[in-house]
Amino acid sequence: MSDYQQYLEERDKIDYFIQKGYLISNVKEHLNGATVDFVHPNRKVTETLLIGNANARKYFSSLLIQQKQRT
Amino acid sequence: MADLRINLAGIQSPNPFWLASAPPTNSGYQVQRAFEAGWGGAVWKTLGDPILNVSSRFAALSFNGQRVAGFNNIELISDRPLDVNLKEIYETKKKFPNHAIIASLMVEPKQEKWHEIVKRVEDVGVDGLELNFGCPHGMAERGMGAASGQVPALVEKQTYWVKEVAKTPVIVKLTPNITDITATAEAACNGGADAISLINTINSLMGVDLDTWNTIPHVAGKGAHGGYCGPAVKPIALNMVAECARHPNVNVPISGIGGISNWKDAVEFMLMGATGVQVCTAAMHHGFRIVEDMIEGLSNYLDSKGIVSVSDIVGKSVPKYSDWGDLDLNYNIVARINTDVCINCNKCHIACEDTSHQCIDMLTDANGKSYLKVREEDCVGCNLCSIVCPVDGAIDMIEVPRELPPMTWNERQAALNGSLTCNVDVTN
Repeated sequence: MSDYQQYLEERDKIDYFIQKGYLISNVKEHLNGATVDFVHPNRKVTETLLIGNANARKYFSSLLIQQKQRT
Repeated sequence: MADLRINLAGIQSPNPFWLASAPPTNSGYQVQRAFEAGWGGAVWKTLGDPILNVSSRFAALSFNGQRVAGFNNIELISDRPLDVNLKEIYETKKKFPNHAIIASLMVEPKQEKWHEIVKRVEDVGVDGLELNFGCPHGMAERGMGAASGQVPALVEKQTYWVKEVAKTPVIVKLTPNITDITATAEAACNGGADAISLINTINSLMGVDLDTWNTIPHVAGKGAHGGYCGPAVKPIALNMVAECARHPNVNVPISGIGGISNWKDAVEFMLMGATGVQVCTAAMHHGFRIVEDMIEGLSNYLDSKGIVSVSDIVGKSVPKYSDWGDLDLNYNIVARINTDVCINCNKCHIACEDTSHQCIDMLTDANGKSYLKVREEDCVGCNLCSIVCPVDGAIDMIEVPRELPPMTWNERQAALNGSLTCNVDVTN
């Protein structure tokens, strides 16, 4: 799979949670990329994604900055 | 016509082109010929403690047909008597009162030695002094030149000693043979320097003869490291000038040195903070009259931009030079191949396929004609294809419409560090 395809897949997973109203609650960076926790404000539900693609890591970081600017 | 005059820390010059302290400024005869050719100033070949030179002193690197792409020397400072040099400086200054003559100086790191030589050279009417803390070979083995220039405390102290007695502006010439040149630049400022000049030459061994196994150059079968300069060092010098120019504690004018071969190089150094430039290798390669093209080219450039004085361009690119962490991670460019211009040499494909990101496809159109196409979604904008392409205009690097707002690494890290306890309101 090309890096671009991997980016699209990981971006879609991120978007899935964001569109359902989840917020990024925690990011743990490690040698394989980043483990990103999403939490829904109205439910005690936490979801976790492993984001390995570099552009996808840029993507969730940009979303996180936007999220922080809103809160 | 634009005004090319400069004023570097009080040293006035009819144009920004000075000859650097080196073999071209060894004598009054040479400096006067240089001034007649049009050079605005000259930094006289370093005066100082007695030395003896070896025979076989220079070597040059030719690269793919370009002769003197790099230049190496193991010549030391002036080997002529100080009184002879002083007499010729006096005569030259008298003959060319409007040109800048700067005396380059190098003595042992002793207060009385600096005081003595400063007084003697200033007595003959020099416009300024340049302290040679940079020569990497020979003199460094005696504790002078780069050996002094690599120790910030010694740079500061010796500059201070000079300033105790100097009546003319003091330029401190810095060695690039150090991890962080801003450390010694700051030390020079702390010692009271009126300006800094950089870079001196870089430690180098030009080569080894494959038949004799001698170094190049060699002296009776033995070699020693020399100082490297010429076009090959320009990017290193330009970065060091820029780093000094943007450093908050380096607040003195800069005389830029390092591989400057034409007016374009000079403009780049001035945009990156140099008030004027010094040239050596290009003059050694082509003679003093290259300054005619430099003056004409600079003048035309300024006129074409509607700039009235060369001083107006000094430092204009410095705010654009930053740390990597402040670059926008969401800015993207991609390669685009102009098939009308492309000659299908496939160099871009090979470079990309073997050593970059495998995003240039070799395709065949409906007529059976081969063509190359970039898969733009996989292109990271590394520039390699356009760098190796032998045909101007065959590959353009195109800005991609922005999908995400600007974000630097530093901004990202600040957000991530803050996010780990981020304000997510979790309710039942």
